[in-house]
Amino acid sequence: MLVFILKRSISLLLTLIAASFVIFFVIEVVPGDPASFMMGFEASPEAVEALREQLGLNAPLWERYLSWIVGLLQGDFGTSYTYKVPISDLIADRIWVSLPLAAFALTLSILIAFPVGVLAAAKRNSATDVSIMGATQLGIAIPNFWFAMILVLIFAIQNRWFSAGGFPGWDEGFWVGVKGLTLPAISLALPQASILARVMRSSLLDTLDEDYVRTARAKGLSRRQALWRHALRNAMIPVLTIIGLQFSFLMAGSVIIERVFFLPGIGSLVFLGITQRDLIVVKSVVMLLVFAVIVVTFLVDVAYAFVDPRLRKGR
Amino acid sequence: MVDLVTNDEPRDNLFLVALKSPSFVIGLVLTLMFSIGAVVSFFWTPFDVAVLDILNRLKCPPAQNWVASLQIPSAENNWFASWACQSAPEYLFGTDHFGRDMFSMILVGARTSIAVAFIAVGIGIGVGVPLGLAAAAKTGSIIDELIMRSNDLVLAFPALLIAILITAVYGASATNAIIAIGIFNIPVFARLTRGAALSLWTREFVLAARVAGKGPVLISIEHILPNIMNLLIVQSTIQFSLGILAEAGLSYVGLGVQPPIPSWGRMLADAQTMISFAPHMALLPGIAIILTVLGLNLMGDGLRDVFDPKLRRSRT
Amino acid sequence: MSLLTIKDLSLKIGDAEILRDIDLSINGGEILGIIGESGSGKSMSALSIMQLLPSGSVTGGSIKLNGVELLDKSEEEMCSLRGRDIGMIFQEPMTALNPVKTIGDQVAETVLVHDNVSREEAMKIARSTLDRVELPADQFPLNRYPHELSGGQRQRVVIAMAIALQPNLLIADEPTTALDVTTQAQILSLLQKLVDEDGMGLILITHDLAVVADLADHIAIMQNGVVVEAGETLSVFREMKHEYTRTLFAASNHVPKRDERRHVSKDEVILSVEDVVRDYPVKRTSLFKKPGVFRAVDNVSFSIGRGENLGLVGERGCGKSTLSRAILALDKMQAGVVHLDGEIISAGEGASRAARRKMQVVFQDPYGSFNPRHRVDKLVSEPFYLLDAPPKGAERRLLVERALENVGMLASDADKYIHEFSGGQRQRIAIARALIIEPPLIILDEAVSALDVSIRAQILDLLAELSDRLGISYLFISHDLSVVRAITDRVLVMKDGVIVEVGKSEDVFRNPQHPYTKQLIAAAPDIEQALAAREKRIN
Repeated sequence: MLVFILKRSISLLLTLIAASFVIFFVIEVVPGDPASFMMGFEASPEAVEALREQLGLNAPLWERYLSWIVGLLQGDFGTSYTYKVPISDLIADRIWVSLPLAAFALTLSILIAFPVGVLAAAKRNSATDVSIMGATQLGIAIPNFWFAMILVLIFAIQNRWFSAGGFPGWDEGFWVGVKGLTLPAISLALPQASILARVMRSSLLDTLDEDYVRTARAKGLSRRQALWRHALRNAMIPVLTIIGLQFSFLMAGSVIIERVFFLPGIGSLVFLGITQRDLIVVKSVVMLLVFAVIVVTFLVDVAYAFVDPRLRKGR
Repeated sequence: MVDLVTNDEPRDNLFLVALKSPSFVIGLVLTLMFSIGAVVSFFWTPFDVAVLDILNRLKCPPAQNWVASLQIPSAENNWFASWACQSAPEYLFGTDHFGRDMFSMILVGARTSIAVAFIAVGIGIGVGVPLGLAAAAKTGSIIDELIMRSNDLVLAFPALLIAILITAVYGASATNAIIAIGIFNIPVFARLTRGAALSLWTREFVLAARVAGKGPVLISIEHILPNIMNLLIVQSTIQFSLGILAEAGLSYVGLGVQPPIPSWGRMLADAQTMISFAPHMALLPGIAIILTVLGLNLMGDGLRDVFDPKLRRSRT
Repeated sequence: MSLLTIKDLSLKIGDAEILRDIDLSINGGEILGIIGESGSGKSMSALSIMQLLPSGSVTGGSIKLNGVELLDKSEEEMCSLRGRDIGMIFQEPMTALNPVKTIGDQVAETVLVHDNVSREEAMKIARSTLDRVELPADQFPLNRYPHELSGGQRQRVVIAMAIALQPNLLIADEPTTALDVTTQAQILSLLQKLVDEDGMGLILITHDLAVVADLADHIAIMQNGVVVEAGETLSVFREMKHEYTRTLFAASNHVPKRDERRHVSKDEVILSVEDVVRDYPVKRTSLFKKPGVFRAVDNVSFSIGRGENLGLVGERGCGKSTLSRAILALDKMQAGVVHLDGEIISAGEGASRAARRKMQVVFQDPYGSFNPRHRVDKLVSEPFYLLDAPPKGAERRLLVERALENVGMLASDADKYIHEFSGGQRQRIAIARALIIEPPLIILDEAVSALDVSIRAQILDLLAELSDRLGISYLFISHDLSVVRAITDRVLVMKDGVIVEVGKSEDVFRNPQHPYTKQLIAAAPDIEQALAAREKRIN
């Protein structure tokens, strides 16, 4: 177990380092001179030079890379060129919108997908199964931001149950915050829940065909007992993989969904960075998002070991 | 998944078999509908989408007025009366805020969506499949390790993040959307190819080919590739549909196709602020996206059923 | 009254008639052997008793357990019957256990499903049942997971699950087919012991006549969904009223006739293997230790003369297939050298085209041996790739047709796809592919192991005839002693990567020297010996 986790940790670290190289390369090397890029073509040479000095762009590449990484490790994301404030402050304000949103959506999607997937598998080829499969097929095809717009149209404009956008903040109280995130979370969760339910079903059907399910039936377990006691836990292994992958789609999805609901999250920060040509913001926020994706992948790998004793060898 | 890889039946009549699957047929019809629409838009559209006609702006589809006029016998007042709006018979799908014909816009948008997704899938297959074949042929070697680790790395960047990075430096364009989605497709195909190819490399017919002196390149082309074709076709339809969704998302947030080129994602972005008084502007492009994606997915599902004998058995 | 009585049982799945007019009965404390080749319906008969048939099955007739009709029972009633009154063991022990549950939990589950007892109580019963199947507590605590056990040990766990509640009837469907002979002997004697102790009836389903001859009191022989002959074991074997019984019996003892003029050269060496070593890296168990190596083939040397048929026997994991892959240059050797009719395959260089031209191979699995996308013509001619001037056009076609005719296939078969052929036919086509460049050596890696006995007899005849006529040498690798004995001149016995005994086949099998060879031969079931022992018991 320990060897397994250590091995994964090393590959986690290597992937993180490689990812930081890629981001650094794209942002600081590809544009040639980031300073003149950020200031635009009309900027005076003196202003550009001042910015270069301020950003430390005159130092050699490897030194700039190292100081960026060392800064990140200390929680120092650099200073925003547009806002002239530390990026870590900008992130700290917004992370409490984006993170709860992703968690909310993931929870919703799991809560919907599990019962639905299990039901469809247990009633394989029945009318229930066929209609669930049809509904999930539709769920996958619906773009989440469009679904968000429709939700706004119905629940915020026609019936004024929710607000059409913006976030009241957690200071207004927990439930007010939850309410503000409900429509965004539903629109994010719908396609993910559809995918997850389908994976759940097919994975369960695969394990139901396994020899050990037949053995269990020969012991006198009913179909339902065999499903719950033997098939389900084995079926979780591929489902975990998908949950891990979904997290990265959720991250990407929430960047877009924040736009629909005008939520002050990480996504809006990135778009501000792009429109303001604030490469420092883009660089650090993208790194943060990639970090989140990689860490979740790692956690999923570790979760495997808890589900599957074969991976726990050498404990 | 592995069951898709080898199937002892000949493949010549698979298309005919597929036509018996209802989901494949529905999927094929939807896909053909939008593909033909996209092709037709090159030569003809009901109205020119480049011409703005402010006088005819925000016309709703005639169907909406028809619904508004419905009388439900038992109801006291007319439920849909509030749907009444200004429509014009020549604009079947209504017009947008610049007076452009929505139907024409959707046709031209189909072209954009399909082109972006198609090229992105092409990039994924063109780069990913050879990489996957190479990794499987040299399994355990440094090449394999390098390919797989770079795959992991790319998978840590969802297409949107790649698009953000590219856009931040080069600005937004359709090309950047294609590159971003295409790059994300590469590891998908590389992993799939490698996994399926690995199971084939242990098969006895590949061993026999090695005993016959054939090298890894020839074996990959003669024995591996034909046997993973089914799998690649099914995955292509899935990636194609994901590509359409991704393009719509990128264009919606302004990282993809730029005006004046019509795109379903952009149309939705324009519609957002007008959704309360012109809902058709949001509904119609959305439905177009849904039907296209649904069509591709249904087609993929139908093909998977045909290719996978194990699944077919469980259906009977 | 019998424990189980089956009358006029019929089974249809969809439109296919699987079983008809099956009459069988078994008493407590008895063993009924059901024998048949693949597709004979023997497994389906067992699943009919359990009512665990695939969906779409329709059964007719009657199955009575202790006088109670099973076919009338509801699914719920069957659930309470399965595991308590009838236990069942399946063929594949590697996949029969749930990988994420401990063996204790899985055995205790049988108890917990049926009886209203506490978990501790159930675990206690699980413990004592595992003791009964000879998995003692000190080596096999209840918290072991299936992946920590070998195939034979897993099969014991499956047996424990089936007998935990001491059912009246135990059904074992090919319980030892996936196991090595020595393990098979242990499992069979365990089953015998349990029958004697508990007085339960055992239905033993197998394709192996020798196994039932040894164990069963009564046997039933099935073909195409029908019982063709049934009765007391000794009388069935001695009288053999039905023709199929005679065919089956003859096929399982089949020894191909060899050509008297056949010449086996001792001086002209075709293959000489010298000090070959194959190491596998072992997965590291600790970050700080060096990854170890597993020596699968340890300094093996032997040679084969022109026209000679050399056997290589050994149990699973003994290194025989690894050795064959090293000779075929599919894997790199770590040390040693192979001389092949004047060409050299070495650890450093691998095999040249010239060396590859001198040998071909036939594998075990007739279904996995061919690319399903190619026609037979292309499949059979694949080794032409090794020739410097491969034949083209009509000449090539002629050679393909001749190779097919050589193995008893039709020239026109060249235009078909492989899925149009049966397992036996595919194996013939595999031999045709090996023959087409007329190599002096063909390696047969378990080439007849996946075939039914009657087909196997035909393929053995074909192989013998080809070697006699064309002077081809064979390296015949198998776990099946009787087959090796039937076709080879000399035999090597391999254990843990080492050759422990070499000698003329007849000598080795008649008078084994090495303890391991003795053990192997003693464990292998033998029809004649079993019948003789049975006769002695009766008289």
